[in-house]
Amino acid sequence: MEKILRQEKLREWVDTLDDCEVYAPAFADSVWNFARVEAGTDIDLSHTNTIGSVKAFTFPQREVFFRFEKKDGVPVLTPTLPDPKPTVVFGVRPCDGRGMPRNDTVFNKEFEDPYYWARRNKLTLVGLACNQPHSPNCFCQSVGGSPHAEEGLDILMTDLGDRFHVKGVTAKGVEAMERGRDAFDAVSDADQTEVDKVHETSRSYPQRPIGDLDAISEALRESFDSPLWADMAQHCIGCGICTFLCPTCHCFDINDEVISPTTGEGERVRTWDNCQFPDFTMHTSGHNPRGDLGSRLRQRVNHKFLYFVENHKTQQCTGCGRCITECPVGIDIVAVLERVGQS
Amino acid sequence: MVNVEEIRDYAAGLLEKGEVKSVLGFRRGSASAFAEPCTITNVGEAASLVWDPTCLNNLALYLVKDRKQQAVSKTPDTRPVGIVAKGCDSRAIGVLLQENYFKREDVVVIGVSCEGTGVVDPRKLSAKLKGRTASRVTFAVQGSTSVAGGRTPGATDGADGINVSVYGDETETVIPAREVLADRCLECRAAAPALNDVVFGNTVEARDFNEPFHAAKEAERLSEDERWATWERHFDRCLRCFACRAVCPMCYCPECVVDSTTFVVTLGTSAEEKANRIRWCERSANTSESAVYHLTRAIHLAGRCIDCGECERVCPVNIPLRLLNTKLEKEAFEMFEYQAGHDIEQASLLSSFRDEDPNSFIR
Amino acid sequence: MTDNIYLPKIGRIVGIDEETQGARAIKTFKVEFPNDDGFEHDCGQCAMLSMFGKGESMISIASSPLVKEYKQFSIMKMGRVTSAFHAAKIGDFIGIRGPYGNQFPLDDWQGRDLVFIGGGVGLAPIWPVIQTAVARREEFGKITVFYGARTSSDIMYEADFERLKESVEVQLSVDAPEEGWSGYTGFVPANLMDKAPPPDNAIAITCGPPIMIKFVIQNLQALGFADEQIYTTIENKMKCGVGKCGRCNVGKDYVCVKGPVYSWAELKRLPQEY
Repeated sequence: MEKILRQEKLREWVDTLDDCEVYAPAFADSVWNFARVEAGTDIDLSHTNTIGSVKAFTFPQREVFFRFEKKDGVPVLTPTLPDPKPTVVFGVRPCDGRGMPRNDTVFNKEFEDPYYWARRNKLTLVGLACNQPHSPNCFCQSVGGSPHAEEGLDILMTDLGDRFHVKGVTAKGVEAMERGRDAFDAVSDADQTEVDKVHETSRSYPQRPIGDLDAISEALRESFDSPLWADMAQHCIGCGICTFLCPTCHCFDINDEVISPTTGEGERVRTWDNCQFPDFTMHTSGHNPRGDLGSRLRQRVNHKFLYFVENHKTQQCTGCGRCITECPVGIDIVAVLERVGQS
Repeated sequence: MVNVEEIRDYAAGLLEKGEVKSVLGFRRGSASAFAEPCTITNVGEAASLVWDPTCLNNLALYLVKDRKQQAVSKTPDTRPVGIVAKGCDSRAIGVLLQENYFKREDVVVIGVSCEGTGVVDPRKLSAKLKGRTASRVTFAVQGSTSVAGGRTPGATDGADGINVSVYGDETETVIPAREVLADRCLECRAAAPALNDVVFGNTVEARDFNEPFHAAKEAERLSEDERWATWERHFDRCLRCFACRAVCPMCYCPECVVDSTTFVVTLGTSAEEKANRIRWCERSANTSESAVYHLTRAIHLAGRCIDCGECERVCPVNIPLRLLNTKLEKEAFEMFEYQAGHDIEQASLLSSFRDEDPNSFIR
Repeated sequence: MTDNIYLPKIGRIVGIDEETQGARAIKTFKVEFPNDDGFEHDCGQCAMLSMFGKGESMISIASSPLVKEYKQFSIMKMGRVTSAFHAAKIGDFIGIRGPYGNQFPLDDWQGRDLVFIGGGVGLAPIWPVIQTAVARREEFGKITVFYGARTSSDIMYEADFERLKESVEVQLSVDAPEEGWSGYTGFVPANLMDKAPPPDNAIAITCGPPIMIKFVIQNLQALGFADEQIYTTIENKMKCGVGKCGRCNVGKDYVCVKGPVYSWAELKRLPQEY
């Protein structure tokens, strides 16, 4: 389904989603981030990219698996599977959209993750094509995506100035459009020509090149023991920015949080974890298979451009560039790949 | 004005004469318009050093990193390290010296005066650009006469502003410095490094920006309820990426009280020691746990924070962390006239006692 | 409704054996499923054990799959969860989920000699294979079990070894002998070289401290064992057990799913990340 939505009708459409939780980008504390849209308020789609990715909607930073307590000396476990309202997220950039099916793979393969899917099944992603890159660190096209990629999105919107071109990509997306059908107009030939032109132009901006992705995987395989890793991680501070902001990083920790030491009541909780932290792989004995920053940088890059490719035939990076832009010390995954490729 | 060539020559000289094993400095990176840290080890690399308002990092962090590396190395290289240091960075080195983290002769401080300006706050720039990315950020110099004519001491280069180009829109705009300089620079009392082996740039005494502790004082105007509401909102946003701790040169503890696992484990570490480690702070990024994290960290930095603002700069969600620390430094200053890192001969605040100290309980 | 992969079943400790004493004490726990919701497992598989309030640890299942009434776990006191196990009493409840991981391909080894080489608590992961091979004794050729411990009081499953001697060759060694010790004195790899089991038509299965495994494999190769004839198990820090949490990988393999059992031929192709 393809429709035209005049800018001033956006609110009308959003208002028809009144039984859903609606989220859209908002600029607060000098960053764009997804924020809850209160009924009857306007949404601002002039955003660059949000600092946090959409992964948090299906993989929140804190997920309680179950509560535990003791009744008559026997542990009683109460699962806390989420049961969210249908959630619609506007303004999702195509790089984040493409992150979603990659996360789906992780939370589906071999064992299905019920917490992830309880949220995922209720989630509708309304994408917004990037008419031009927001940042010099955008590289979606270098990892098989595009500024108007539909993969992972339920709806793709394209900003045509005074109006949006709106395309329902999945049944879920079409349904959300049906809800607001009165707000939409038909797509004229002129509209179609314009949207095609906007898409074509959006692809024409130079992006940071990675080159042949198969060759990169091979170079990474060959470079496992290279001294380059220690060199490239020389200034790494070992924080969690790159992975926490990444739309596809999904590693997590599981801990018991005791609420009452006297009754033994507590919660088993999943939280985001980060391969750059030293305790991520440290055995209880103190032995650490990835005991230095070089091996941890290698793990982050290899996971995305080698291991995931070997296991799932695609890169686990969608080129959003957050890890580059937000790194406090300038570690740049594209530059890393370039150096490994040249070595 | 600081002439970057002089910094390069000096660094090259240190390396050439073998007086240092490496020089920590700034270079242009591939990741953004902001400079990135670099460690140069040979004369040829000195040409890559830069100096401009995007040299944000406090490189003293890497002195700490080097110490830690040498401590576990089988063949430690204990030769001195050269470091490009702004006023605030030099105070970090000062605190590390006060705390005997290394010795004065272990470091060659290549001081750079921020003169009348300082460094750009990426957060303020982002607010101005509404999230768009700057592709070039430099000191503006309006009219070469201002340089050729020589500045009178006290004149602020900041008056000339900061040139900013925006990615995807290559027109250059000049933003007045006071609008995009980091708060710490606006409040800075010592823009030239007092601790140094050499200083490039003029020592500027009067700076026409904000009074010291301006931001902390502004924040204090709010009522207790308002302040708590503000910080509750900020702690709630915290991702617990620990970048603030990781980037802080003063957070050098090999393991941190807020971590739930024991990091320093040897064969001799008993199971009990690991099992009984108290979890002061859970990993969950929720308001209460993040409050414990940030408040614990702030307290542990009391009398030690030299206001380099790195914690605040690196925060991906822009939590104004510096306010927590400067509030405590303001107390230290007002109650004890203590300024962290200003005098390496001075005993550090929390390990000294004077009869005139105001708290009666300690007597 | 799909199974909740993170929700443990309730287990009850019905037996505790103190295997070894000291700072790194080992205890063996027999665990039943009071709610009758137990699972089957294969040789080499692991289970994620919970002490509610302390957390989870991945522990290999040390009992044979042929034993259906209970599962057995030998746990060394190491950190938060394992210390809680060591403080547990008979009748205490734990959480248990699994089984996880791959298995020793015992069926492929029919008709072949089996050489087991274990050290310390590393006997536990290969113990179910030994037990199963003994139960199906006629399917295999000669079975030899090498096992070494620091002292004779550190020998695990001591009573079981006595029974084992009836049907297989047992070669015990200790690093520090006490008076009256009749077995071999020295490290496991040396005992292996001393007895020199022939490689023809044999499979060697080894587990123990990393340094022991390293020298056992070197010695096996010296004895003429091909890489495909050598099997071992590896361990890494694990949290989910289901190939998602991202930390136990060795190269592209999540050990919790693709491991823990590897032939040396497979393992040497993977990066040294364990």
